[in-house]
Amino acid sequence: MNSEHAVTFIVMFTAPVSASERPGVTQNKRFLLGLLLWYVALSLWTAYKPADRQFWMLSSILPGLLVLLLVGTYRCLPLSPISYVLITGFLTLHTVGVHYTYAQVPAGAWFEQAVPLGRNQYDRVVHFCFGFLLTYPIQELFRLTIPLRGWLLYYLPVMTVLGLSGLWEIIESWVAQAVHPELGITYLGSQGDAWDAQKDMAAAMYGALLCMVLLFLWRKQRSAASRPLARLES
Amino acid sequence: MVKKTTLLYGLLAWYGLLWTALAIAPRDRQDWLLENLLALAAVATLVVTYRRFQFSTPSYLLITAFLSLHAVGAHYTYAEVPLGFWLQHGFGLSRNPFDRVVHFAYGLFLAYPLREILVRLAGVKGFWSYYLPLSGMLAQSGFFEIVEAIVAQIVSPELGAAYLGTQGDEWDAQKDMLAAGFGALLCMMAAIVAPTQSQKTASFSRHVGRGVESKRLN
Repeated sequence: MNSEHAVTFIVMFTAPVSASERPGVTQNKRFLLGLLLWYVALSLWTAYKPADRQFWMLSSILPGLLVLLLVGTYRCLPLSPISYVLITGFLTLHTVGVHYTYAQVPAGAWFEQAVPLGRNQYDRVVHFCFGFLLTYPIQELFRLTIPLRGWLLYYLPVMTVLGLSGLWEIIESWVAQAVHPELGITYLGSQGDAWDAQKDMAAAMYGALLCMVLLFLWRKQRSAASRPLARLES
Repeated sequence: MVKKTTLLYGLLAWYGLLWTALAIAPRDRQDWLLENLLALAAVATLVVTYRRFQFSTPSYLLITAFLSLHAVGAHYTYAEVPLGFWLQHGFGLSRNPFDRVVHFAYGLFLAYPLREILVRLAGVKGFWSYYLPLSGMLAQSGFFEIVEAIVAQIVSPELGAAYLGTQGDEWDAQKDMLAAGFGALLCMMAAIVAPTQSQKTASFSRHVGRGVESKRLN
């Protein structure tokens, strides 16, 4: 093996393939490290004196796994920076909710005082954001791994988000039944609403639908805007 | 070997007969109507789209099996199906489990047809072709629970309770979704273990389709 081959070999295994072909990779990497740093700093803040230690532990398992998965798959399956921003945005909202326990987040309590809706709406907002912020990264994952076309490209991400929401509600109910009931209720954040699970899933679905509709309109407008240029070029 | 079209006519006739028999004197006409709206829409969609998208024979069998179970549930209202009472006494359960069984059957029987749609229409392969049907069945279950909740809140509460079949269980929605998810998981595990004829024909027809396309291009 000559030195040139050795260099290519090393580059293949150290740099993400698609990213190394683009200029500005270092800035990208720095930006992503910044996002990671932000999330870690935020997590440390919430780890220091959370409102409920057990709730904090239970709710931090899945986000922790997700971050590890994203860091681990960065080499072989890098997502776009915008996807990482959206995921970080969602994790930030979740982490804040976990710190205060969802039913007592100050922002939600403040909103409740301004617009009396009968309950702290912060968890509903985060369920909505689960759909709204994570549908685009999921679509990107599909575009990178499945040759999807047409309406399926918009339908499958919504379906996946709804499926994950359902799975989340199932896990929540298990935890609520396993852990002692009074914590179960704060963990669920159902706040005494019998239809809470359905409303949460619906919120995620609306978020996902909104994201897909906006994306569809944006792409349509962009392709319409690029068409006259193409005509000029030809 | 019976011809596929003959078998499909047979399935349609079976469902038509069963449906008519169960439509004669349902326990609760309004509940029966609510339950059957989606089922009829599904059958109509299958018949209308038959020319454009044909499922494999096992898929049609599975779909018919599920629709038959649902027709029985709709006739008696789910909470009062005799078979369910029999199961309840046999296993010493606190409630009629028929609706839970049908939720399980929903995942078990319909994950495979969904996989067929995804594989053939979207070209989904490998890991995704097993995960997405599972996720899809969970999503549809969740969607169904949302619709149920909306219907229950609109329709008068007492019928709502019967329609829901929650039978006083606060975790009913989660258990129903879990049943469907578990059914779908079993179905996908079966699909992993035993790659069936339809999969082979699916990939075969894809290859043939590609051949035709390339010929046209040439």
